[in-house]
Amino acid sequence: MEEIQRTEVTKNPEIEDIIELTKQSVEACDEQQKQQAQEDGEDEDELRKLLLSDIGELPLIPPSATQINFVSYFITDFTKSGHDQYIYRHANGLCVIGLAPTHIAFKDEGGITNVDFNVGKSDRSVLKVSGKRKKNALRSESNTALCKVSTAKDSYIVRCCVKGSLLEVNERLITQPELLNSSADREGYIAIIMPRPADWTKNKESLITLEEYKEKKEKVFMIQSAETLEPCLL
Amino acid sequence: MSDETVPAAGDSSGLVNGFVSHGDSKTRRVYETARSVHSGSVKDLLSLGVCERCIFRLVAVEAFDSDLSSVSTSTLRSWIQSGDDETGSSESNCSRICIICLGILQFVFSDAAAEKKLVKSDTSSDYVARVTDLVKQDRHDFDSFGLEVSVPSTIMDNERAVLSYLKEKYSTEGWLQRDKISVKDALKVLILDPLKASLGAQSDSSSFHIRLTYSEASDEALGVSKTTHESKRRKTDAENGSNCISENSKVYEPCIFSVHCNKMPIFFSGRYFKYSRNVSQSRWIIDDERMGEASVEEILGGNILPACLGDSYKFHAAGREDIDVRMLGSGRPFLIEVQNSRQCPSEQSLKEVEEKINYSEKKLVGVKDLKCIGSQCWAMMREGEAEKQKQYVALVWIARPLEEKDFNSISSLKELKILQKTPVRVLHRRSPLDREKIIHWMKVEKIKGHSHYFLLHLCTQAGTYIKEFVHGDLGRTTPSMGSILGCRAEIIQLDVTDVKMGDE
Repeated sequence: MEEIQRTEVTKNPEIEDIIELTKQSVEACDEQQKQQAQEDGEDEDELRKLLLSDIGELPLIPPSATQINFVSYFITDFTKSGHDQYIYRHANGLCVIGLAPTHIAFKDEGGITNVDFNVGKSDRSVLKVSGKRKKNALRSESNTALCKVSTAKDSYIVRCCVKGSLLEVNERLITQPELLNSSADREGYIAIIMPRPADWTKNKESLITLEEYKEKKEKVFMIQSAETLEPCLL
Repeated sequence: MSDETVPAAGDSSGLVNGFVSHGDSKTRRVYETARSVHSGSVKDLLSLGVCERCIFRLVAVEAFDSDLSSVSTSTLRSWIQSGDDETGSSESNCSRICIICLGILQFVFSDAAAEKKLVKSDTSSDYVARVTDLVKQDRHDFDSFGLEVSVPSTIMDNERAVLSYLKEKYSTEGWLQRDKISVKDALKVLILDPLKASLGAQSDSSSFHIRLTYSEASDEALGVSKTTHESKRRKTDAENGSNCISENSKVYEPCIFSVHCNKMPIFFSGRYFKYSRNVSQSRWIIDDERMGEASVEEILGGNILPACLGDSYKFHAAGREDIDVRMLGSGRPFLIEVQNSRQCPSEQSLKEVEEKINYSEKKLVGVKDLKCIGSQCWAMMREGEAEKQKQYVALVWIARPLEEKDFNSISSLKELKILQKTPVRVLHRRSPLDREKIIHWMKVEKIKGHSHYFLLHLCTQAGTYIKEFVHGDLGRTTPSMGSILGCRAEIIQLDVTDVKMGDE
């Protein structure tokens, strides 16, 4: 095929020039494409190098998002014995409230089976907070009731523990109360409260740190495990 | 006598009454107009203490225009006065500040830039020279300028009072009914042409403005309240008519004069890279302490500003990333707005700015395609906003080892809809909303030697919170990486690898 083409072409030298030029520009295009692909490849390599360069020591279990972004506080026997709750405070001041692992509700056989936000004067799960200024948020005191958690045996009132504006309650607990049994410290949180700076400073005094909580509850567990030979929760 | 004082050509410096035969047509016109003014009102106004140019403004039949700029105060006085005028009173008048324009049209003022030294001149040329000096001191580079004049508000009240006096006394005169040019406009008319010549520039509504500001001397210390009180008092004076005008023996002080130059902001566009996980996008200070070790805003602006000799800068970016997230790939589009730049940097100096940033010791931030840009800059920024897609790479940890099926179960999810409640970490300053976002595609990349860690490549709708998509934000973002893989997932670090813009 090529030979035939060549013979025909040599008959007309002008066309030969044009074809030669076209061939050259096609080659140049190919070159360009190759170069572009190479550059892209180089860019990608650069990017990969950058991406992987940062990966230093990778711990077996890294700290969780909660552990990094929140400071953990606890309150024990709040208004009633065994009513232990956590208050995770974010750097921006917001507090996530939930049941601490030693809450007596967890001791009941079968764990928590129901969560009802209709307590106190209103159903907390229907509040509609809107806007940056958090309009319509319930202004709550530390003993304002948030919800009632029920087990097969009994029901327990969960309270705010922190004075502030109630921004949100975890309405997923209504349909999935078992979240409290599996991950009370994450997906099973109860509510989010925004305290005023002055209120928080005062409130903080009645709360204990994670270390203090462990210490306090360790004693209980030591006694428990000795008596019942059951494994410790912590 | 009037025949002897025929106007001379050009300026009348050194010639008090302008002798010498044929004047040029401009000043001749002024002369003729001046000779034909109503002499009774001129006498009245002069004795009240109104200056020559204000008299010409209010009384002359012909319009007040630039022909007047070369006529000195004393020449103008001699022209508007009729022959049999007492020369005695005219001399005492020349040292009085005009009761209407407060000396502005007499080129009398306190020079703010020269310790409020009192300046007086007969013609506009010294004044124009002074303005030129002050403008040159500011070192602006310009081909054209817009002239702005600011005068005290009491001048309007002064004029109103004098006009009502005139209307009462000379109600039948035709020249009274015409609109009078304001003091502000009169000053502009007088000095614009000589100023253009002196600065070597055109005049237009350009991006460079020269502002001449006159402020009342006595009110400076006492502030606004006195001014409004005084102007109220003057208003009632005007209503009461002529009595108050002639009884008013107030001594008027010259205004304080200052010159300010301002250039409209200029813009620079480009793309920036952020290589550090300890650099915020904009200056971030809490309780007097800086968060992070530097900011993209300060590194870019701090290097561009000196190249423009500007006063200050503003930083605008097409989107943002957290302090601990790197901006890699093609970079993020940004704009730097520079206020009052004295010079527009050359391409060479912009290249030098780029190099300075890109080859700095710490290599915290990078920049490319830095260039000066015009008014289309805002359209360019809008493009990078809401509708566009962004690409990321996240380092993810999961509680169980990565399995073969995970690769497919993740990459098979295309255009995945997720619902994100406002993340807790921004909930304090944003509205509590449920935001639906789209994850366009995802790809899992194994990391050698680590079974619990992997690189997640993803392309998402603008406005998606990536960190919350990985760790689930206490279950408030669904689905999340954790819910898709059925275990706890944490995000270790995040990089932005592409910010798509418009037609790219």
